[in-house]
Amino acid sequence: MGPIDIELLKKIVGPENVRDNIADRYVYGADASVHEATPHVIVRPTNTEQVQEVMRYANREKIPVVPRGAGSGMCGQVTPIMGGIVLDMKGMNRILEINVKDGYCRVEPGVVDDDLNRALKPYGVFYPPTPASSLIATIGGEIANNASGTRSVKYGAARDALLALKVVLANGECLSLGATTRVAASGYPLERLIVGSEGTLAVIVEATLRFVPIPKYRCLGISNFNRLSDAGDAISDIMASGCQPSMLELVDKVAITAVNKAEKLGLPDVEAILLFEADGMAKESIDPEIEKIKSICEKHGGFGVEYSYDEKERARIFAGRSKLFPSLSKFDDRLASTSLADDMAVPFSKMAEAAGKIHEIAAKYGIVMTAYGHCGAGCIHTKILMDTDKNFQWEAAEKAVAEIYDYVCSVGGTTSAEHGIGLSKAPAFKKEKEAALELMRGIKRVFDPNNILNPGKLMDAPDRWLVATPLRYQIVE
Amino acid sequence: MNSCIRCGYCYEHCPVFKSTKWEIDSPRGKLILLYGLLSGELEPSDYIANKIFECFHCGRCQKACASGVPTLEVFDAARADLIDAGFNVVGTTSQTNHDICARCLNCVRMCKHEARSFVDGKIITDRLKCRSCGSCLDICSEKGITIGTGYGTNPDELSSKIKKFLNNPENPDAKAIVFMCGWSSYPGFQASVYDKFEISREYEILVTACSGRLKSQTVLESFEEGAWGVLICCCPENECDHGGSARVKARMKYLTDFFEKMDIEKNRIQIAEIPQGNPKLFTDTATKFIKEIGSLGPAFERVGKC
Ligand code: SF4
Ligand code: SF4
Repeated sequence: MGPIDIELLKKIVGPENVRDNIADRYVYGADASVHEATPHVIVRPTNTEQVQEVMRYANREKIPVVPRGAGSGMCGQVTPIMGGIVLDMKGMNRILEINVKDGYCRVEPGVVDDDLNRALKPYGVFYPPTPASSLIATIGGEIANNASGTRSVKYGAARDALLALKVVLANGECLSLGATTRVAASGYPLERLIVGSEGTLAVIVEATLRFVPIPKYRCLGISNFNRLSDAGDAISDIMASGCQPSMLELVDKVAITAVNKAEKLGLPDVEAILLFEADGMAKESIDPEIEKIKSICEKHGGFGVEYSYDEKERARIFAGRSKLFPSLSKFDDRLASTSLADDMAVPFSKMAEAAGKIHEIAAKYGIVMTAYGHCGAGCIHTKILMDTDKNFQWEAAEKAVAEIYDYVCSVGGTTSAEHGIGLSKAPAFKKEKEAALELMRGIKRVFDPNNILNPGKLMDAPDRWLVATPLRYQIVE
Repeated sequence: MNSCIRCGYCYEHCPVFKSTKWEIDSPRGKLILLYGLLSGELEPSDYIANKIFECFHCGRCQKACASGVPTLEVFDAARADLIDAGFNVVGTTSQTNHDICARCLNCVRMCKHEARSFVDGKIITDRLKCRSCGSCLDICSEKGITIGTGYGTNPDELSSKIKKFLNNPENPDAKAIVFMCGWSSYPGFQASVYDKFEISREYEILVTACSGRLKSQTVLESFEEGAWGVLICCCPENECDHGGSARVKARMKYLTDFFEKMDIEKNRIQIAEIPQGNPKLFTDTATKFIKEIGSLGPAFERVGKC
């Protein structure tokens, strides 16, 4: 890569859409992960033609290009580890079409999830993947990471809501992939290949998404358990029972303690809490589901079961879960909440065991970890709370992360449920997918022969996340 | 600084970020810059110092921050350090043109934050005390005070947004402008705490700094561009830190009286007091307002293009 022609980039997207001073570059080198790296320039295209022009130039000069949405990724997906151009897609944020008759909408990649849902609401429909960060997450970022959220158990992830994509390839060519119809049988589903590719294959410039009706009723319930394993058994039983909960969340003891400590919510001092929700158009269809879930919980020792359709009551029941994420940062002033081993998926039957295993590994390495997640989808989230000033804590964290993912793989789980791989989960990902890595690299070469699109990620990421980039934390000792 | 997990949830609440969509203008961007300065990875510069001073002190970032980062304190401390280090930047603070200033000292007397003082024959702004509310701009009869970078809140910026919204051929439903104070009722557009799905395309929300800064001229301009009505949402009078609610009310009373004399329905201009954290009240008020002006029809034929 030679020097970047900033003037040319300014000509392509307009001078107001290029930033190359060190302060902006430093800010765009960060995201919600532990990593940081500084790009050479930030370019904010406002239409497809500009993306094509930028890509043609970058491809000619072999300059890395990292497409970026909100920058809320937790694993360093948008960390520009080889510098180059950050393509800030927030400049393409128009909702292009809402087609109720044919059941799809078309959006540019910079549209914010909540904005889209706000626009869809008058039509009585919603775009379901909705991660917790939906107030800032862009659709492009959600697709690139195959994001999902608490309701993925019923409504699926970004991949399930995607019908078609318009993408710009590394060489600047613009392609339409997929079809707006609900079924499209033959050929390689290339649009789906882009989902979860984390910006390594193409730049998304337009997405056609399906939506679903907004349910008229939601009923949320809660059950306490004195043993984590009982909660785990309840989860697998619920999922095997034919029930279709719209949410099934597990909160472990560390998380309960954290919430109680930070928010004084007075949650019961139990080993695990299970939250469940069912939704639908008629209470008659929801009631039996809730009753069934309740009886399964009770069969496995669940107690203090309550549930409600009332919005205020639901907010009260959910308060512990919604306060969880922040509580972890406030858990102990000396410990920072780092985004490591942040997500994984295991079979339903292994949820409780995995949570226990995480605690065991954390204790072994002298760090604090919690386990919570959308257990109806087999998804577990954790955070590592540690003293980020200390080098030995980082070394312990690296070992703990590796051990956790080894365990996850050993029980048939997978490295990422919904947060993506980026850099900090790449070592585990590469281990898990070892046999397929060459095939992935081959696909990458077909799409991007010069390896300019988000290079050094996924299968090509460094073997140790700890030294892949400078850390965003200052290590003093 | 480590308690910031860089989730970015704060930036959708920040009027500065919302105006430019550059991440450096977000609260997270400011924190990252400060981190860079502290760690030595960034050299202090006028550009960075200015970014730290570009803030309306609305406090939404701190409220939105789930991790409890005291952003306001952090930014204030950083600003003090930057001034100590000799950075002569102004950010969004108000500045006086001494050639125009008549030395009437009205601004000195009215500033609730005691940010303006008369020293050596000149009005100076205390950049640490100035809350960028813009009230002084409004009080200055000589138009001698400016906020250089208004992030959409300066009158000329408001004017062009009014024009754009009301003359957009793709939105035939456009009929009203809602001015919202950046402190109280501004919903953050899509902040999750807000009943976010109910902002209709019939009206555009424009963020003024303090509502007291809203000029009669800007309201009249909305009508000139075809608005059927204008809603102004301000803080309850006793909650307004800048004394702006009382001023905007007085100003609008004058306008509505004038409307009445001209035989124009005076409820085309409405003021609502909306306290912080009551999005429902905002939604209800806006819905009722739109219904009312909807039944009145266009004001355009009555007023005519001036
Ligand atoms: S200040 Fe708070 S809300 Fe903003 S990025 Fe940091 S942790 Fe997130
Ligand atoms: S106080 Fe308001 S204007 Fe200032 S950084 Fe925070 S959200 Fe933005």
